Amino acid sequence: MNGLFIFLQGISVWLMSIVGWVFDFITLHGFADWFRSPGVVFFLTNFLAALVVFIVGFLISITFIWEERKILGRLMDRRGTQVGVLGLFQNFADGLKAFIKEIIIPDEVDKWIYDAAPVILIGISCLLIGLIPLSPDFALANLNGGLLLIFAIFSIAPFAILIGGWASNNKYTIMGGMRAAAQLISYEVPLLLSLVGVVILAGSFNLMDIVQAQQQAGVWFIIPQFLGCLVFMVAAIAEVERIPFDLPEAEAELVEGWQTEYGGMRFGLIMLSEYVRGYAASMVAVILFLGGWDGPSFIWPEIWFIIKVFILFAVWIWVRGALMRVTTKQILGIGWKRLMPLALINLGIAIAIKMAGWL
Amino acid sequence: MSEMWLNMGPQHPMTHGLWNLRVKIDGETITEAEPVVGYLHRGWEKLTETRTFPQIIPMADRLCYGASLSWSHCYCLTAEKLLDVEVPERAKYIRTIVLEAQRIGSHLMWLAALGTDLGSYTVFLYPMRERELFLDLMQDLCGARLTYNYPRIGGVRNDVPANFERDFTRVLNHFEKKIPDYEALCDESTVFHMRMDDVGKLTAEQAINLGVTGPNLRGSGVDYDIRRDDPYDAYSQIDFNVCVQKSCDAYARYRVRMDELYESVNIIRQAIKDMPKGPVRVKPPRNAVKGKSDWAHTEDPRGEAFMYIIGNGDDHPYRLKVRSPIFVTVSAAAWMLKGYKVADVPAIMGSVDMCLGETDR
Amino acid sequence: MVERTLKRRNLKPKAYMLRPMAVTLRETINHTRHSPNTVLYPWEKLVIQDGFRGRPGLVIDKCIECGICVRICPTRCIELVEIEWKDQGKIRRPQVNMGRCMVCGYCAEYCPKNAMIIAPDYELAGYSRQDLIYDPIRLQYEDRPGCHIDVIEVKPKDAHNLSIKGYDAKTGNELKDVPEVEDKMCIGCSKCEKVCPTDAVQMVQTGVNEKGRPIKRPKFDEDKCVSCEQCLDNCPKDAIKMKEAK
Repeated sequence: MNGLFIFLQGISVWLMSIVGWVFDFITLHGFADWFRSPGVVFFLTNFLAALVVFIVGFLISITFIWEERKILGRLMDRRGTQVGVLGLFQNFADGLKAFIKEIIIPDEVDKWIYDAAPVILIGISCLLIGLIPLSPDFALANLNGGLLLIFAIFSIAPFAILIGGWASNNKYTIMGGMRAAAQLISYEVPLLLSLVGVVILAGSFNLMDIVQAQQQAGVWFIIPQFLGCLVFMVAAIAEVERIPFDLPEAEAELVEGWQTEYGGMRFGLIMLSEYVRGYAASMVAVILFLGGWDGPSFIWPEIWFIIKVFILFAVWIWVRGALMRVTTKQILGIGWKRLMPLALINLGIAIAIKMAGWL
Repeated sequence: MSEMWLNMGPQHPMTHGLWNLRVKIDGETITEAEPVVGYLHRGWEKLTETRTFPQIIPMADRLCYGASLSWSHCYCLTAEKLLDVEVPERAKYIRTIVLEAQRIGSHLMWLAALGTDLGSYTVFLYPMRERELFLDLMQDLCGARLTYNYPRIGGVRNDVPANFERDFTRVLNHFEKKIPDYEALCDESTVFHMRMDDVGKLTAEQAINLGVTGPNLRGSGVDYDIRRDDPYDAYSQIDFNVCVQKSCDAYARYRVRMDELYESVNIIRQAIKDMPKGPVRVKPPRNAVKGKSDWAHTEDPRGEAFMYIIGNGDDHPYRLKVRSPIFVTVSAAAWMLKGYKVADVPAIMGSVDMCLGETDR
Repeated sequence: MVERTLKRRNLKPKAYMLRPMAVTLRETINHTRHSPNTVLYPWEKLVIQDGFRGRPGLVIDKCIECGICVRICPTRCIELVEIEWKDQGKIRRPQVNMGRCMVCGYCAEYCPKNAMIIAPDYELAGYSRQDLIYDPIRLQYEDRPGCHIDVIEVKPKDAHNLSIKGYDAKTGNELKDVPEVEDKMCIGCSKCEKVCPTDAVQMVQTGVNEKGRPIKRPKFDEDKCVSCEQCLDNCPKDAIKMKEAK
């Protein structure tokens, strides 16, 4: 029971006492007692915790979109978004626009799968928000196999993209879907291999234990595991489908790739899910390599963590602004021929450090 | 796996204009390509048969809206040969300066379109920012930014404004420092080389047989430039180099155009220094001789622009024929695309610099 | 010999991808320190230079109804329509269809009295096609420096004379094309005298025919003629041709 749960338990006890008082007033004492019982309070606490974590994570990932548009704008010698104070309301305006658009579904799509693909995609992206703690006091779940579960959920995405592209019954989307599946599946391997080095140094899959290991060792894992960090960054950019690896949704050749036939809110959900996955990937990168919520104690650890995630995402935006798209053949070449040997070398370095007893 | 025909266009975010490229693909490899043009046909050559000679000049601007001055200038050269008009010296130098500024603007727009095709929106916006400076210079000179209506039969419309030399020198000095920025984003980036090296090969023999001209021909190693071999205006008195590259791929065509940016800056500097004083406009005759025909060709930023005119005895032409360079290169596209992947299509077509206005007329 | 003002560097790719990233980082810092290159239209607007070609404008009092602007427009968007004007009753003035206008500036360039001018107005959107037809009252614009176009030409024989500056084509007679009539084809109907807007045509008696009736032939006044070619268009026998200035 961490700080979040204790705080919310207090709130739910207070809420249930008010409801109980109302029922007492109507002289339905059975209901009043049931409402005040520990079981209901426990359920309400967990529900409120899930809600709070989800809303905070969602709002931060929407702020990511704002950050991307502003920084990319200044890079290209223009201002970014302008709606509202400093441009912060642009995403809500865009969401509203996506809501009120006309929904056009082509005749020959495979109805169930066409509807299911964006649902799967946004579902797994939002599931990831709940699994990653922002600090010891602000976590929804602290699983012992947390890291493994996160990446298992991460890897359902190529499945959803492939069936989404196939079900749209369009030559462009089939090609986009297959390219996306090839790219995402082949970059899973370096991604997971670069993690193993950190797990060896820290000794467990639990995210809080990894951060604690960095705090105890006194050095963030980016320093002994520099190669691993590099491989993780490149593989994460490829997994989230950003430029320079965004061929599956390349505009110049395939209109929008596998997302061509999705319109209105479906497209809005797909775009949102990509940013949420990017948010999750950056959070995991900060926890693994940059010390998580480690920092001086005059600001809350949650704020420190979010600042680090924003800075890391700014580096990804900088890469997006400077580079061009890479073709499929070359993407797969980079994944298998360059990143995998680097990840293996990094694994060797991690084993050597652990056996020498330095960390 | 069976082969399928894929329609890239006519509604497509590939920025070059309104045309349809049908490719036959086997998995991801292209086996055949068939371009379909004609969506933008406006009947230009027929329209000119009912207009007088001065009225055709603003219409020629709309042939290729990316490099509009080179087309109205080509028409003026043709009409001057038909009507036997001699152009004053100062007008020739002004025309040269403005044509080279137009060439810089057209190449910057090509670079911007290439950037969007390859996925980098930074390479889209930086050249457009510099192009604005050149458009501002032209706006000072003749009042419009895109379709100028500036050359006249017998010279140019008006003399240069008071601060012409100072403004032009400032812009050129600023621009020369920016070209290395574009090269840093493109040439010195490994990703760019991965996409443009060894794709879209067009050998010199194929290029000559297909009738390709301009930077596309010079990227295949053939040393031919109308400004040096058959000079018009003030080019015979200006010293400049012709840019040729030996490897026949998309990167060579890109490199030729970047070198031409440097050369144009030098040409403009020389022309500003050497410009004589005098009149800028001569009154042309009203009627042409019946049955007389004449032609003129110029080095358009995209190739060789050629016009042929037949006189009717009064102030309309009987027939005006336009040969546009990109109409020919579009059929060469089928040869350039064979054997490469679908993902290479934007890189190859981006290096050809299409402008659909002059293809379909 | 062409001198190179910039030394060409070695253009091979360096450090895999760090050179583009260095350039973009420098540019990002520059654009945050000084404002970016954008103009927040419509709250900020750019300054327009003199001579900017916006829509055509009209000075109603100077127009002589010659119809040169109607004839010269490449898209045929100008028409002469009747309006009521102050104390002059019904007069004909040009009306421009902005939906067709290509803003080429020819009407201002060829107008002999500088009645058609260029207005630097570029915000021309309307809500319907009817909205875009500018009748003469709406077309008015005040003539300021930079709004009318002057044509300075030389005669063909002076093309290589570097000391001569040129004649103003809208005043003076050096460059004018004047009409001339072919005697055999003229029937003396006086239609050219009626359509001339500047009263430059006078029918004079040149003799008597075999039945004793007077033969009238037109005489053209070079000073008043503006080369509008109305007499050419309206002659029923096509007897008038333009004589070009030498």
